[in-house]
Amino acid sequence: MDTLSRRKFLQLSGAAAVGAAAPLLTMEDIAHAAQARPLPLGTPILIMVTLYGGNDGLNTVVPFTDPLYFSMRPDISYAPEKVLKLDEQLGLNPAMTGIKSLWDQKKVAIVRGVGYPKPDRSHFTSMAIWQSGAPVSRLNSGWLGRWVESQAVDPMLAISLGSVLPPLLAGEKRSGSALPLGGLVIPTGTFAKDCQKLAQAVSTDNKLMAAAATSMRTLFSVSNTVTPVLKMPAPVADDLPTVNGGNAGGDSNLAQQLDVVAKLIAAGSPTRVWSVSLGGFDTHANEANAQAELLGTVSAALSRFTSQMKNTSRGKDIVMMVYSEFGRRVKGNASQGTDHGTAGPVFLIGDRVKGGFYGDQPSLSNLVNGDLSVTTDFRDIYAAVLEDVLKTPAEKVLTGWKSKGQYF
Amino acid sequence: METNRLEIARLYHRFGFGPRPGEFKAALANGLSATKTALLSVPAVDSGAAQVAEPNITNLGTRPDQKTSALIEFNIALRQQVKDLPLWWLDRMALSDHALTERMTWFWHGHWATAIGKINHAYPIYVQNQTLRKYALGNFGEMTSAMINDGALQFWLDGGENTAKSPNENLARELMELFVLGVNRYTETDVRELSRALTGYQIERPSGKVTFNAKRYDSNIKTILGSSTTFNGISAAAHLVAQKDSAKFISERFWFRFISSQIELPSENSLEKSFETRDISKLVVALADSQILSNPSYSIVKPPVEWFIGVARYLKLTPSALKTPGQLLSYLDKLAQVPFNPPNVGGWPTDESWLSSASAQSRIQFAAWLIKQADLTALAAIAPNKRIAWLQDELGVLSFSTRTRLALNGVKGTPAQLLQLAICSPEYVVSA
Repeated sequence: MDTLSRRKFLQLSGAAAVGAAAPLLTMEDIAHAAQARPLPLGTPILIMVTLYGGNDGLNTVVPFTDPLYFSMRPDISYAPEKVLKLDEQLGLNPAMTGIKSLWDQKKVAIVRGVGYPKPDRSHFTSMAIWQSGAPVSRLNSGWLGRWVESQAVDPMLAISLGSVLPPLLAGEKRSGSALPLGGLVIPTGTFAKDCQKLAQAVSTDNKLMAAAATSMRTLFSVSNTVTPVLKMPAPVADDLPTVNGGNAGGDSNLAQQLDVVAKLIAAGSPTRVWSVSLGGFDTHANEANAQAELLGTVSAALSRFTSQMKNTSRGKDIVMMVYSEFGRRVKGNASQGTDHGTAGPVFLIGDRVKGGFYGDQPSLSNLVNGDLSVTTDFRDIYAAVLEDVLKTPAEKVLTGWKSKGQYF
Repeated sequence: METNRLEIARLYHRFGFGPRPGEFKAALANGLSATKTALLSVPAVDSGAAQVAEPNITNLGTRPDQKTSALIEFNIALRQQVKDLPLWWLDRMALSDHALTERMTWFWHGHWATAIGKINHAYPIYVQNQTLRKYALGNFGEMTSAMINDGALQFWLDGGENTAKSPNENLARELMELFVLGVNRYTETDVRELSRALTGYQIERPSGKVTFNAKRYDSNIKTILGSSTTFNGISAAAHLVAQKDSAKFISERFWFRFISSQIELPSENSLEKSFETRDISKLVVALADSQILSNPSYSIVKPPVEWFIGVARYLKLTPSALKTPGQLLSYLDKLAQVPFNPPNVGGWPTDESWLSSASAQSRIQFAAWLIKQADLTALAAIAPNKRIAWLQDELGVLSFSTRTRLALNGVKGTPAQLLQLAICSPEYVVSA
């Protein structure tokens, strides 16, 4: 293949657009930006918490007065006296004490029966649908990736913790950044300059080579602003009991991710969207203990993070959204577990949230093929997050979706 | 540019793990047809693979009771096995003279993605790996049948919990969605009926031995994809494999992992027909068709293991002999791809997922660590102003861009840095 035809092909197919669309940022630009233009106080910050594996919604928000709940789940139901009561019918999983306390402070919105039309019970398809935010047109980009593309270019705008970028933050031409736990260590000195030459976009790049060059460019720009911050101590949560000088609440990977997020937010990172995650919710067998442990981890990590942030000027600006790719089958299986299901609750947490229940609780007597019916479309929540938290018109990002919930 | 340089580069990087020193240049001289025949014909004896000793992975038996000294010994032995297993396989990938068998076994591991974490015993996973190698280029129906009797897969997907009294759908769903048919090519009723057919299996975890317990088996009629009979696990699996959609799905998966995950398999293609008898080697040959190999739009990012093995083969490094092997596994972990530890039953992600700023950083460090342990005399013997062109051939790169040439030019006097930038360049990280 001669280079001319190759270049022509790339131009015709639009595959060269990554390099063309993303202007080069120098280290100086970014370092200057982080100090000179920290995120303005009062700018809302979104933290997406993804629970991978399909969290069992019925054992998260438990309908503890419904006789059908007990008859359909004889092995894995929670007794009324065990749950953390939210009202006369619903209670939280006993492990979620931290979130219960935030609920009591009216900082938690629980949207019930959330899903999308024609639910898919495949982990991968369903998570792809949730993260793309496009259940009908099935876009390859993520809804927050499309939001990134609607904003001015800034590699620090949306950051995911961990080395693999979730589809959530992937755009068509530009994406969010990934940040490994422990921060970034990059080459220094003259070799760094030679390394950075590899980050230059060239017209002969195909889409993937351009993405490889971009990853190098982002590494150098993000690391220069992020690395010093990661060396600082995390904000202290002084209203939690401490053990040996550290905050109690257990150490988990989710807590570690949120620790890094807390430091960077406190330092004024111009980041408006963060993505953290926890896996392991695919509880086909021996669910009760496994799920309670995971929900306990989520609850403790989020409430600890909230306490940490309360002491900073950013505490009031943070909104957390917790979701999973689907709920689970209402009827338990023989392995003290549950199989893949449909609708589940979504949690919105923060000072800006109007606490309480939203959406109808799916009925246990009116199941669709043994599964809960969807009472709220997740795009209603995405639209509210886009418009009321990220201050961005939702319709374009959500490919024409028009309705939204009132949670803020 | 030489004739068929793109096709030959793709044959090396996608149907193997990249060229060893001098191989690519020799292949260009031999031409496309001879190279294809050589790379796709598995020799009877592979002396490179034969020098990798089988690992000492044994059935450690049931975990001893808490607080006994036997438990400590058990844990030490298990930890050693869990570490030895991936190193043994990485050695096979790096040292095999003919790479195709390990390359295909690696593909199938990502296809029937089973993680050691839940199994918590190395032996069943080792057995599964041998099964996948045995059928890697064999018959897909026989492979599927063998996998129904694979203890690691059965345990991973709760097969032992699936009984007539109360089915567990995990294995049935993934068998249809991820292993044989593909999503949306069956109904939810089919999943439930298939899970009934798959009842009766029990797994002995330390050994991975699968037994059949007739009392737990649902012997009634099941209706799966329109056919009604008293299906059991094996006959139901054969029924799935016989579907036209199965040829379509496996063709799509081969396309996705070897050709492009960006552009879908064209509806007019020769792959499905080549797979009529479910002979995997025929599908591989159809996939290496010159029209596909010569289409410039099918680039693909090398997943971390493939990138590492490519570097190891070129630098003649033995993975288990690196200092230290634990450090090697830690680098692969940072890049998010360790053999026997896929993130979930769907296997590893592709393309842009491997191109985060975090992985760029880890790759630079990993490259420096590998190069420090390699013999660079051959590169050092080349005159500095000829090194970039020479490396392009040695590494089997289609063409370094002007950007990369500029970067390499700055360090051409220092072989270690030159090589480090070359293997971290977009043109090496991505198979053009």
